[in-house]
Amino acid sequence: MRIKKDRLTIVVHTVSYLFIGLFALACLVPFVLMISGSFSNETLINTTGLGLLPKGFSLAAYNLIFKSAKQLIGAYAVTIIMTFAGTIVGLFIIAMTGYALQRKDFPFRNYISFFIYFTTLFSAGLAPTYLWITKYLGLKGSYLAVFLQLLMTPWLIVLMKNFAKSVPYEITESGKIDGAGDFKIFTSLILPMLKPALATIGLFLALGYWNEWYNSMLYLSSSSEIHYYPLQYHLYRIINQAAALKNTMAGANVTVGSLPTLTLKLATAVLATGPIIFLYPFVQKYFISGITVGAVKG
Amino acid sequence: MKLDMKKQNVTKSQKVKVGRKPLWKKVADNKILLLMCLPAIIFFIVFFYMPMPGAYLAFTNFNYKKGIFGSEFVGFDNFKFLINSGKLWMLTRNTILYNLAFIIFGNILQIIIAILLNEVRNKFFKKVSQTIMFLPYFISAVLVGLLAFNILNYDYGFLNTVIKQFGGAPLKVYQTAKMWPVIIVIAQLWQQTGYGSIVYFAAICGIDAEMVEASQVDGANIIQKIRYIILPSLKPTAIILFLFAIGGIMKGNFGLFYNLVGSSNATLWPYTDIVETFVYRTLMNNFNFPYASAVGLYQSIFGFVVVMVSNWLVRKADKDYALF
Amino acid sequence: MRKLFKKVFSVILAGTMAISLAACGGKSADSTNTDNSGSKSDATVTQGAAGAIDTSEHVKVKFVVLGDRPTNGRLEAMLEQLNPILTEKVNAELELQYVEWADWQTQYNLLLASGDDTIDLITTATDWLDAWPNVKKGSFLPLTEDMLKTYAPQTYAQVPAANWDACKYDGSIYFIPEDNYTQYTNHGMFYRGDWAKEFGLTTISSFEDLGKYFQGVVDNKTGVIPWDVSGTAANGNALAGGYIESKTSNIVIEGVPIGLSTLFYGASASDPYTVVSPYMDGTTFEDFAVMMKSWADAGYWREDVLNYDGDSREEFYAGTSGADQHHTQTFVSQIRPNMDTKQPGSEAQMFSFSEPSKNLVKTSITHGACAIGANSKHPERALMVYDLLRNDATCYKLYNYGIENTDYVVTSDGKLARPEGWDSSTDGLGTNFWCGRNDNLELTDSTWYAGKDDIYANYDTYAINYPYGKFVFDNSNVSTQIAAMADVCANYIPRIAFGKVDDPKAMVAEFRQALKDAGYDDVLKEVQNQLNASK
Repeated sequence: MRIKKDRLTIVVHTVSYLFIGLFALACLVPFVLMISGSFSNETLINTTGLGLLPKGFSLAAYNLIFKSAKQLIGAYAVTIIMTFAGTIVGLFIIAMTGYALQRKDFPFRNYISFFIYFTTLFSAGLAPTYLWITKYLGLKGSYLAVFLQLLMTPWLIVLMKNFAKSVPYEITESGKIDGAGDFKIFTSLILPMLKPALATIGLFLALGYWNEWYNSMLYLSSSSEIHYYPLQYHLYRIINQAAALKNTMAGANVTVGSLPTLTLKLATAVLATGPIIFLYPFVQKYFISGITVGAVKG
Repeated sequence: MKLDMKKQNVTKSQKVKVGRKPLWKKVADNKILLLMCLPAIIFFIVFFYMPMPGAYLAFTNFNYKKGIFGSEFVGFDNFKFLINSGKLWMLTRNTILYNLAFIIFGNILQIIIAILLNEVRNKFFKKVSQTIMFLPYFISAVLVGLLAFNILNYDYGFLNTVIKQFGGAPLKVYQTAKMWPVIIVIAQLWQQTGYGSIVYFAAICGIDAEMVEASQVDGANIIQKIRYIILPSLKPTAIILFLFAIGGIMKGNFGLFYNLVGSSNATLWPYTDIVETFVYRTLMNNFNFPYASAVGLYQSIFGFVVVMVSNWLVRKADKDYALF
Repeated sequence: MRKLFKKVFSVILAGTMAISLAACGGKSADSTNTDNSGSKSDATVTQGAAGAIDTSEHVKVKFVVLGDRPTNGRLEAMLEQLNPILTEKVNAELELQYVEWADWQTQYNLLLASGDDTIDLITTATDWLDAWPNVKKGSFLPLTEDMLKTYAPQTYAQVPAANWDACKYDGSIYFIPEDNYTQYTNHGMFYRGDWAKEFGLTTISSFEDLGKYFQGVVDNKTGVIPWDVSGTAANGNALAGGYIESKTSNIVIEGVPIGLSTLFYGASASDPYTVVSPYMDGTTFEDFAVMMKSWADAGYWREDVLNYDGDSREEFYAGTSGADQHHTQTFVSQIRPNMDTKQPGSEAQMFSFSEPSKNLVKTSITHGACAIGANSKHPERALMVYDLLRNDATCYKLYNYGIENTDYVVTSDGKLARPEGWDSSTDGLGTNFWCGRNDNLELTDSTWYAGKDDIYANYDTYAINYPYGKFVFDNSNVSTQIAAMADVCANYIPRIAFGKVDDPKAMVAEFRQALKDAGYDDVLKEVQNQLNASK
């Protein structure tokens, strides 16, 4: 059934394109500055700032990076594996929990919800958590220290619960009538209907793994067994090494060799960040409307 | 044509009497659902509840050898440094105001972007622009500070270059404290909007397509569609996001503030200092776990109270939307 | 309902506690002492001392060092050669644990706080690594003279009794000082000798001269910023401290850090036990503020200096900054050699802040020190390894320089040189042995500035020893005031030091009032009392 586009719609559509376009531009420009800066001459950048085009085109920063390419490649490998595995495992647990918690006939749901949510309000703090994980769980220097902690967050569980609410109860009901247990209902009937939710939450989960550096810094950094750091921590080290020395007494007291230049920092950032933008378009297709009420006649 | 979304999901069969059943029976009847929740429960116990007693650290004079519970108890001494600084009110005010600005403006902008993006018909434009809007999220705070400096600085900043071209007098942005609330809010929105709008976008995608079409057949124009169908469907998501965000109202995006404002430009601090940047500066050379723990506890308790109150208010308005 | 909630909650809690208790009991975090990799020879220790030392068990000694772990493989290659030697001599192997620069403070303190029982040797320092607070917090193992005599006899003999005293707290020794290594870490400004001559200055030996130099750069060198400094708090404090050093005879009292600042000084070398603060009293700090404002207005650094993040050293090398600031060791080992290559003819010089006033304190012997972890499982073997690293020629050279002919070469006159194509930024060994360097075994680096000895000779004529070696400040009575003062210093000092103020004298007055309000008088009294007691 073709609906004719009226004036108002055209106006709104134009506004949409304009607004989105401008905002996207605002997001893109700084990124372009970063890229062009990474291909520029260090001195020119320091005296005249970044520009949209490289100033004094130079591959010096990239050359330096590829000299120790092993580190970067290893960082990629570690991050990709962890992201992949973590997202799948975490997503499954989150979906399971989210579905259970929105079932109105589940008497414990409010307690469990609160139990989970409460952790966002109170946290033990850095020192006790660190002591617990290193001393009692013995996870220092193990990738598990990072992997396990990122599997889920209360926020994602609640979000999933919210998405799961929009799946009509009739579907669960029809499953029960057919004699299926809750878990079977979940896996065969509910999961397929949650595609946009799974895509969204899977994306957030994956991003959590991809962007993670804090736990790596705490538990992986000074370990002699770990050779490859997750990507963002690898980047963080390079960018913050100079800052750390500049801002503390350490910088006043020790003699350190050459520190990473601005162009090096930018180049590393480009290499660590760039590739993820190729992932997103693939994920986006799951965001198309998936739920139709027509499946079950209520 | 207002649709009452929540009524749709509650059918007669769901109004089961959850009455005076003994506990073991309840567990037995729902054991599969319970088991489904078990991995998550274990996760939170292991990583969050087990270390919690360690927050006691905030009340001790922590000695490494004696451990947290063996160290000497000092009551509220560790909180004194925060209170005696005379800055607690200013820091609290700044922290809360910034967070409110982030939450309110942030969510509004995210909703607008999500709605407008939904209206964009051209698939290519949609994909590309959404991917691009995503990018700032990945740029680390240090780089954001660097980029901001490049745009705002007096000598060669992009902003001043443009102003000079139009014949104006260059601005000494880094010396003008009053501009900074705006700058910081813009930076935060720039970084988080693309990422945050995804949730709303997914929620819009989840709206029943038949309903939308039916409304159009009924003669609703695009503004009415947005107002009466899309916005209400985003309400639950917005409320959840709000409740979550508000629990962290005393915490700050430390990285952003620290890197934008810097650690030595005190001219800007009256308008940009938050609890965490203040604590970082005072602890920078005497890294002091008890002090840091005390601050963390202050932030947590504050957030806890705010959330409980907010959740209770939301619950009163509409039971379904509350977090618990 | 509430009762139900409580019941369920307590069941879960009880269950988890039971599980966790069981887990705690059984698991012991990575213990490495029974790892039998490498040859196991039951060599007996050949160093003297009473009784035979049992080295039948092969042990891995873990050494905590500061810095970024090198990724070029040189460290591993060197250890492959060093460890067999260590095994042969004391049946032990060395393993390095790096605390990397990004967030080093958090990591270093967490590492110590966790009471990790796998760490044996720890790099520490009384001035920047909080050695004394860590001693009090129980992170280091107390050492007895007997232990040192037995397990590190060469080191024990080398360190004079007075120096051991400086490392004592409550009667026990807590770390080994790096006291036999000549280095000067006094700060100053590096400048270009060729430009100074152009501007009519033979040398720069005062702040006023420095001002003339900067003006010369502004007037004559387009595209160059006289001192393109990054206005961090650390740099601001260094500048202020440098000015005070050059105008007074006050001596810094280490161990009372107020955030990143040091406010408390001893009056002079002849009157070290009167505590003063040039920041609070007198006109020195006011003069400083006025001068810095005039410098800022004259454009000697950027307008937005407080937020500028550039590296003035790299720019000095590139010729876009006329100056850079750091200490003598950096000057002789890096600045001068690099400038000679990158800016030939520049004749980089250093204006030491100590020069005008002849006020120089030698680097404290505990500027680098080595401690043993409180929970170390093999403190004796750790000491033995340290003794070797510090005193055994082969081990020393390997550990500090690497493998001969690959990482370094020895010239015909016995100096250290590097092979063709060696680049310190990519080929460096990175062992950062900042707690056991030894003049007896040090090779003079031929790449270092040849004029280094002259500089040292000049310093030796007026430098004094650090007078407060025995002073260990206990801040527990005034920690709140110190935290408040730290904030005040962070607030005012950078702005004053870089002239970002409207009225310098008024700003200084405001700063002083704020310090007083924060509790300055209490802290002053406390420092004076404790200092008197330590005499």
